[in-house]
Amino acid sequence: MLDVALVALIRDMSEKAGVDGTIQYWTRVGENLAKRIGKEVYMGWPSFNVAFREGRTGFSIEGEATPLTDLAITDVDGDVVGYIYAMKQCCFVPTILRVRYSVGELPRADKAVAEEYNNTVHDIAVCNFCVIHEKFREEVAKNITIGGQSLDCLLLATRGYTGETKISEKNLGKIGMNPDQVRALLRNYECVYAILMKGAKLKEDGK
Amino acid sequence: MNPPQRERLIESNPFVDVATHLFLEDIADKQGAAGLNNYLMSLAANLARSMPEEEYSTWEEFLDAVRSGNSIITAFEEIFTPTQNCLVTRRSPFERGWVEYIKRVGSFSRIHREVADYYNSAVKPTTLNSLHIIHQTFRATAAARLRVGGKAVRYAQIATVWTDGEKKIAPEEWLPVLLERAGITHTQLNMLLRNNADVWVLYQE
Repeated sequence: MLDVALVALIRDMSEKAGVDGTIQYWTRVGENLAKRIGKEVYMGWPSFNVAFREGRTGFSIEGEATPLTDLAITDVDGDVVGYIYAMKQCCFVPTILRVRYSVGELPRADKAVAEEYNNTVHDIAVCNFCVIHEKFREEVAKNITIGGQSLDCLLLATRGYTGETKISEKNLGKIGMNPDQVRALLRNYECVYAILMKGAKLKEDGK
Repeated sequence: MNPPQRERLIESNPFVDVATHLFLEDIADKQGAAGLNNYLMSLAANLARSMPEEEYSTWEEFLDAVRSGNSIITAFEEIFTPTQNCLVTRRSPFERGWVEYIKRVGSFSRIHREVADYYNSAVKPTTLNSLHIIHQTFRATAAARLRVGGKAVRYAQIATVWTDGEKKIAPEEWLPVLLERAGITHTQLNMLLRNNADVWVLYQE
């Protein structure tokens, strides 16, 4: 009910504060949530990935996600510095359905917010909820250390409720991943992101 | 509405719920309990106003829609109706978000209770925490959008029980009228409060 109430508020907020006001609102909500979840420490990637799979990390509040441990991110020395993670279903899909069956339709501001975010921040949003996800994950990653090093989170690709997809060439470039690889992942997943060591010297960086 | 659709409608989004609670705490830090109370009430009223108005020919037809969740007033909760006017919510639609909050963040911030105290003194003494303000304001606004046999529908809260078992019952001086409208006795009310989340009444003048 609270999620539907917030969606109803988006229409109102976008009319009064403009779509950029809604972007700021979602960004603040995501940031606030991540900061309150607290810090986490892991010895290495295996223990982090087990915790992730079991829903024990700060990321887990979003719902079920899978560490794709066959897709490791390596640095210039060939050491593993991160992995790809993916959600089969965005946790906002049930919210979208609840809005559909209680209010009737998503507010038109939904698309407008996503478009504004794509034009001004990062061309990755398929709906207005992507705004909260991206900021939330970035902030959660800052609170987690693996082997003493803090993390970074890069949103790589999204698939919306109506099938629209967005792939971040900018972030794929950073980790040296081919867009076709992530496109194949979108057949099975709705949201794909990378978690990696902050400041890792990646192959792309080493060019 | 088929059962899977209904189930999805009642379920909450814990991610948004927890994020919202924290955001509400942020508002309270800046605007105090009064400011938060205004925000909660406008959030709930805005939701109800975004849903379509309804009209029914008879009370029986209306009750069928209420029981099946096809009416806006019960869209987000599973209820049963021990009488023609008494409605009982089995489980708070906010419970899952609250459980997720205490699991991921810690004990529920005191402001959620303080804002309820403010609401109880300024509006109606029927809430235990911020979520009840949202829920009860939503019901009141949604009820105002209903017409049965051409007449308005009125809503009143009789009692609330939170997930931890704490109860808030309408003031003693209000109870006889409310129980009469609901068609239940005080003993029946206590029986209902044992394992349900809310007891409320819908009626017409």
